[in-house]
Amino acid sequence: MRLGCRKPLTAAQQFINLRANPLSSGDGDLRAGNFTWRFDASPSPLSRVYRVRIEMAQERSPRTFVETPDLAMLADGRDLPHVYRNPTRLCLYLPGTSEWQPWMRIDQTIVPWSVLWLWYFEDWLASGEWNGGGVHPREHDQERSRPPQRRSETQ
Amino acid sequence: MNYISERAQLRQSQLADLIEEACQHLEPSSYQRDIAQQRYEGVGDWLSRSDDPLLVEIAIRLQGSVAIGTTVKPIGIAEYDVDLVAHVPDIDIAISPAMLKRQIGDRLRANGHYAPLLEEMPRCWRLNYANEFHLDITPSIPNPGCPYGGELVPDKALKSWKASNPVGYRAKFERRAKLRARIRSAFGRMVDSTIAKDSVEPYPEEMKLKGLLRRTVQIAKRHRDLEFIDDADGLAPLSIIITTLASRAYEFCVGNFTYDHELDLIVDLLRRMPNSIETHVNGTGVEWYLWNQTTVGENFCEKWNKHPERARAFFEWHGKLIADVEHFAAAEGLDDVRRLLGDVVGRSPANAALDALTARVSTARTGNRLSVSKPAGLILGTAVGATPVRGNTFFGDPR
Repeated sequence: MRLGCRKPLTAAQQFINLRANPLSSGDGDLRAGNFTWRFDASPSPLSRVYRVRIEMAQERSPRTFVETPDLAMLADGRDLPHVYRNPTRLCLYLPGTSEWQPWMRIDQTIVPWSVLWLWYFEDWLASGEWNGGGVHPREHDQERSRPPQRRSETQ
Repeated sequence: MNYISERAQLRQSQLADLIEEACQHLEPSSYQRDIAQQRYEGVGDWLSRSDDPLLVEIAIRLQGSVAIGTTVKPIGIAEYDVDLVAHVPDIDIAISPAMLKRQIGDRLRANGHYAPLLEEMPRCWRLNYANEFHLDITPSIPNPGCPYGGELVPDKALKSWKASNPVGYRAKFERRAKLRARIRSAFGRMVDSTIAKDSVEPYPEEMKLKGLLRRTVQIAKRHRDLEFIDDADGLAPLSIIITTLASRAYEFCVGNFTYDHELDLIVDLLRRMPNSIETHVNGTGVEWYLWNQTTVGENFCEKWNKHPERARAFFEWHGKLIADVEHFAAAEGLDDVRRLLGDVVGRSPANAALDALTARVSTARTGNRLSVSKPAGLILGTAVGATPVRGNTFFGDPR
């Protein structure tokens, strides 16, 4: 089977997997073709516990929010690294590549990536350095010589 | 065990690991210690090959923090002190400290290698190895009046001998340091956990505390160095006072109590430090005593009786030390942990310890060895109930 041809998981399948994985144990609402899932994430026992919300509509990319604590308040006026804005969401993978595709389980991709993001976020809060790598669209343009496909992929 | 208590246990052992890691950045490396040892053995050899009958039997021995493993690098100075005793057995107390010191100095000066490094200090000779260490060589002779086999060393004015016992002190400290604390959650080992110890890296990596007593002494001394960085009045509590109080408190704590975690023991023993200080109230005020238990008549707090402000400075600093360690113990967030560890041991070792954690996560991530579990967060390798972290590239709106 070619990667791009795998069948997307339905919102219900994603929801059930999120509920079953101890890493993302939490609660949520499943409606027709979309869902909201909330769980506690903490990148280390020394870290804060963050309430994360994942929203997904069928045929769309999942959106990842940190509800509490307030990331902007923790950042104390500094621009958050590696987020989409308005509203603030975590940017966990490079759109338009095979890193995340609709047939992949959110509990095995988006969830561990959000924990990883939170590690580098706490590291960044104190050190001022984002040590998690990644690209911002401007660099991405230069590196890949093509526009980011964010709009279509990440809503 | 549920995930909350498992997480709480891991948290405690990781805090202890961070103290361990930070302390490793505070002390000389084993390479530096080896170099120092070669140098002072060479000095001992040179002294004892003298024609001077006084020096033939001389023996060079380590004393002080290097001897007992509690050294912390001084702030803003490249060299750390290696304290040595040049002990002459079979000698009569009739020799004056000034005379013995002079003869040792003459012998050192006769060596073309040592002569340019030599610096005279009030009670000792210093060999200055730039950017490495100072070897401070203090003369000593036997103390026939000491029931514990102690020695005599020059007083500050070099006029008379005063009682000391570096060998006995070291032996007593080492005996105490070997006392095993009773800790319920033995270091890094999880009871009832599905997660084996070696899977809860990035932290443990065979990191055992060098010994809680030694690490506690190092933390306390470092905190003292930070608090008294601008101390021009000699208010900073002496290392010998800190070390003695901590080692006695440690013996008391491990002999009487069982602790949930290493850090609980560290905080408790820090709290109990002042308990070994004796006071006498006389007509004019309070007299302070902290007796050297390995000889007769050496009061480590002697100076407090002439300078009561030093006693006040000790108690103020001690209160701040406990508060800072307790804040660190309660830190939440890697950023808070970094900041509050910095308040205890200084920015640079705290940054080094936290940067090492992130570097381990990043290395494991690159090598596809990173996974994540609910209680432990990111871990190296895998564990029951853990989810591997697949490769990803963080993205985002332009800043």
